[in-house]
This record gives sequence, structure tokens and C-alpha cells, in this order.
Amino acid sequence: MRLHKKGSTLQMIAIGWLLLVASVGLLAPWLPLPFPPDSVDLNNIAQSPFLPPSDVKPSRHWLGTDGYGRDVLTALVYGARTALLVSLPAAFAATVLGTFLGSTAGFWGNSGFHIPIVYWLITSLLFLGAVGLASDFPPLWWTLLLGLVAVTVISKPLMRIPMLRLSWPLPIDRLVLGAASLLASVPRLVLILALAAVQDSSLIGLFLLLTFTYWPEPAHLVRAELLRVRALPYIESARAIGLSGGQILWRHALPNAWRTVRTAFPLSLSDLIGLETTLSFLGVGLPSGMPSWGRTLAAARLDPTAWWLIIFPALALAGTTLALRQLTANRITA
Amino acid sequence: MGRFLLYRLLRTIPATWAIVSIVFLLSRTLPTDDLLGQALIDKSVGSRSITAAEREATLLRVQQRLGLAGPVFYFSRIHSTAGTVWQWNGTDNQYHRWLSNAVKGDLGQSYRSGQPVTAVLGEALWFTLPLTTSAALLATLLSVILALWLVCGGPAFLLSILYGIDALPLFVVALGLMLLLANPDIIPLFPAYGMGQQTTENTPWNVQISSYLYYSALPLASLILVKLPSLVVQLHDALRHELGANYANTARAKGLSAYQVATRHALRNAMLPIIVLLTDLLPALVAGAVVVEVIFALPGMGRLLADAAAAHDFPVLVGGVLLVAMMRLLGLVVADMLYFLTDPRIRLQA
Repeated sequence: MRLHKKGSTLQMIAIGWLLLVASVGLLAPWLPLPFPPDSVDLNNIAQSPFLPPSDVKPSRHWLGTDGYGRDVLTALVYGARTALLVSLPAAFAATVLGTFLGSTAGFWGNSGFHIPIVYWLITSLLFLGAVGLASDFPPLWWTLLLGLVAVTVISKPLMRIPMLRLSWPLPIDRLVLGAASLLASVPRLVLILALAAVQDSSLIGLFLLLTFTYWPEPAHLVRAELLRVRALPYIESARAIGLSGGQILWRHALPNAWRTVRTAFPLSLSDLIGLETTLSFLGVGLPSGMPSWGRTLAAARLDPTAWWLIIFPALALAGTTLALRQLTANRITA
Repeated sequence: MGRFLLYRLLRTIPATWAIVSIVFLLSRTLPTDDLLGQALIDKSVGSRSITAAEREATLLRVQQRLGLAGPVFYFSRIHSTAGTVWQWNGTDNQYHRWLSNAVKGDLGQSYRSGQPVTAVLGEALWFTLPLTTSAALLATLLSVILALWLVCGGPAFLLSILYGIDALPLFVVALGLMLLLANPDIIPLFPAYGMGQQTTENTPWNVQISSYLYYSALPLASLILVKLPSLVVQLHDALRHELGANYANTARAKGLSAYQVATRHALRNAMLPIIVLLTDLLPALVAGAVVVEVIFALPGMGRLLADAAAAHDFPVLVGGVLLVAMMRLLGLVVADMLYFLTDPRIRLQA
């Protein structure tokens, strides 16, 4: 009982902190902050926090300023907004993509997903056509899409031909695991560093980069869960009453993996926030002028005695990470 | 064992090759105009303005020197008045040349300094490898000691501290250490950056080593601190699980102390799940070295990669990615060998 109470208090604190970060990030442009983001106050360079306001200016730097005279409090608030804009969507997209790939890989394995030869033929023809023709005429993509729809309608009668009714399995499991091991062959930070150098830094680019390098984590979890679920008797009964594979996966097997996904999501989010701040610290990924907790910490390198440039962003970061983990911890014990 | 290792390598080498190829091809799809323009400006400084033909010739020479001449891949799409045509380029393309040179050990030359990439990488590796391997060894050793201590009645708040450290990314830990231990206002115990003045050949070796330790203490400590929590928590869990097993009860019943039960009986079994973590330790530490070397301004692999990424110095970047990927292969091999040494059952299977 005592333990439970302690757990729920911690849970309340964690949720409270996350709500605070989220609301501050969302409402950042409308908060009564005395200094706009990324603005330079050259009168107060590297000012310590909690100093009384100077006579010249009534507004004060509550948490001090960095070596360029940028307000730390403003940077923290807008850094929370950046975390909301980049890490949260990336964690969400990576979880969705990972769940999709992991569940199909775990559920169908290498031999479970059969595609009739008709579809193989049509897909390869369409692919060749797309590569050869459509790449410079955008409208052709639409004709191709229409063609695909038309072909799915035609393929039903084509299936009457016995030879075309044979099917080849699509080795989904091998494909997904192969892609994951491809991404795992270089440490994530090095890979992101290399790929971020190749493209221009932008919000969308960073979002895509984080999503496409992070999806293997949820995918591995969901795949393992579905490997367990697909051997359960109720899946067999679902097959026996004649449901299609997709229906079983979506309506019956995936809800069992939902718990895993829900537990892993806060951890993914905290990982990605850590990754994003590390990248910003190194000056990679985010377009310049975009505030981030990592950027504020990077400013501390210029002036190692400025403890407020390290303590406040580090506290924000550690608080968020610990709160997200607390969410997960309670899920596991509950 | 040889067959087992060979099988593992055959499975992982293609992935390594593919990812390095992807990075290479992506780096070559970027427009190189500004790069070439820069090289042209360097050439024409101080001389008279060059004619269009001379400019063309210089451009071609620079392209040739940097390996940027010719098509990028085996096939390419050509836009002409008749529409787009797919063209087969044969083996005379940038990728083929790069790959065949890379197999021979030649990774091209740096865009920035013009030095061969292998020399640049080797120099950086000479610094980073001691740092990362000693960090890996010390982290493993410390995690075993701490987990044993926790199991034999160590203070429980140690775990909370480790959880707290684990919540922070590496760069925050490193900055925190720098703030605490290299700060003239608090405790100026260690240098904040650099490797000190170059030691000459005739300095006694003990001075060299102590100077090295003095300058790499903080980077080493931050690398270890970041890797420690996951290792200790996992090992502690595994040890507790093993100590609940019947054979541990038997060992206790015959009168062994808690420490003896843990070290002589449980530890070997508990190490098995940790080896998986150890596989990724070396490459993870190389990635960690990126952050640590940038913070402490050390001349290693990590800072080389970060600088190359920032300056679009792609030969160095691709070479670095290749090297890191190879280090991961090495980690896999070492982990497999450790498996063999730790668990006789695997020896029987292979």
C-alpha cells in the first residue's frame, strides 16, 4: 500500500512536469517573456541568474544570459517547443512505422505472406514502368495509381487461370530484419551525423532522419511480441473461422502488442530528445537560429564558469527524461 | 568456432558494405559546385583572371584529383531533347573506382587538407583507440565490481544515482564533470581541454603516461559514467536472478559466504546476457567519443567525424563511417569469442 502510494505520487509529479513542458512549449509565442527568442542583449552578456534588474531596463534575465546575451529562460521555453516539434512527431512516426514493420514481420514471418504470381508480375511491371517513364512527368504518377486500382480489379478474373494462381511468399521478416541490421551496422549517432551532413539542415529533414534511424527499436519489440502471440490458440481459431491474415493481425493480434508499444513510446521519446539535444549540441541537424536545450548547453563551452548555462538546461533535460521513464516504470509494475 | 565466426561475419559484412555505400552515394548526390568553386578560387588567387577554356580545364583537373569526374554510379539517367534515357556507364564510374580503391586500402584524399584519408584516420585512431578500449575495459570491470558489491549488501542508493546519471545524455555528463572538476571557481583538478604540450621523444615514459592520464581523465570518466548504469543494472538483475536459483542455495548451504557464492558460482552465468551489451560497447564508445572529443577538444576519431560532417569533407566522413562499422564487426567477433569462453553449451552447438 505504501509502495503504491509512493509510486502514484511520483507518477503525479512526472505527469505534472510533462504537462508543464508540453504547455510551455505549445504556448511559447504567447507567454509573457520579456525577450524574444534568439535576440541578443549586448548590455547583459554572460549575466548570472537571479540578479536584480538593472536601472536602465525594467525587465530582468531570470535565469541569466549566455555569452551572446541571449536570455536562458526564453531559450529553455523555446527549446521545449523544439522538442515538441521534432522529437515528439519523430517518436510517434518511428513507433507507427516500427509497429507496422515489426508486426508484419513477426506475424507473417518469412513464409506466411503469400502473394499470387499475378501481383508479382503486375508490381514488377508497374515498377519498371514507373522507373523508366514517370520520374519526370508528375501526372504520370496519377495514371500509374489509377492503373494500379484498375489492375487490382482485373486481377480477380485473371486468377481463374490456374498457373497464375500459384503464389510466392514474400520474406517480410528477412527484409525487415535486414533493413534493421543495415541501420545497426553503424552507431546511430555516427550514422545521423553522416546523413545530416549530406542534406541541408531543416526541421523536416531532422524529423525524417530521426524517424528512419529509430524505427528498428519499436519494430524489434513488436516483432518479438507478435512471435509470441501468433502461436497462441485463439489466433488459430481465428484462422479456423476463415478470417484473412490482415484481419487477424489488425483486430486480434495487434491489440496484444499494444501494451508493449505503449510502454516503449515514452522511452523512445526520451531517447530521441536526448539524441536531438546531442545533435544540436554538436551543431548538426536543426537549422541555425532554432533554440534547443542542446544549443544552450553548447553555449556553456565558450564560458566554462557559467554554471547556469549547464545546470538549467540539464535539469530540464533530466527532468523530462526521468518523467518519461517514470511513466514507463509504472506501466511495468501496474 | 571458426565456422561460427565465419557465419556471423558473412551475415554482417554485407550490411556494413551496404550502409557505407549508401552514405557514399548520398554524399555524391550533393551538388559539388561550391566545393569546386572554392578549389578554383584557390588556384586563381594572385594570377590574372582565367579564360573560360582555362577554367574548364582547371575544373576538370580538380574533379580528377578529388575523384569527382565521370558518372556517380553504374547507370544514370540522361536528360536530352528526346526525353530521358537510362544509360549504362560500365565500370568507369566514381562508385566503382572508390570501392576498388577502398578494397586496396586507399580511401582517397581529404577535400580540406589534401592528405590521404587513411593517414588522417590512422592518426585520429591512434588517439581514440586507447581512449575507447580503456573506457570499455574499465566500464566492464567497474560494472562487475559494483554489481557484486550491490548483491553483497552494498547501499541501495547507488542504483538511484546510476538511474539519475542514465537520464542524462553523454554531453551533459561531460559538461557537468568539466564544470565540477575543471573549473577555476570550484575544483581546478583537471585541464578543461586539449592534450597539453607535445611531449618530445626523450621524455621518460612514466612522465608521458602520467601526462596522458592527466589529460584524458575527464573524457575517460564521462565515457565510463555514461555506459556504467545500463551495465550495472543489467548485471545486478542477472546476478539476483542467478542467486535465487537452486544451485546458489546449495552453495550457500555448504557454507560459502555471499561473496563467494556470487563470484564463484553466479557471476559466470550472469555474465551471459551482459555479453550482448558488450558487443555494442566499443562502437557505442566510438560514437560517444564524437561528443567527448568535441567537448574536451581532443584530436581523435570523433572530432574528426564531427568536423568532417560540418565541413562536408565527404572522403573523410565515408572513411570514418567505414572504420566505425569495421570496429563494430570487431566487437561482434570479440563477443562471440567471449560467448565461447563463458558458456560451454555454445561450444557444443557450434
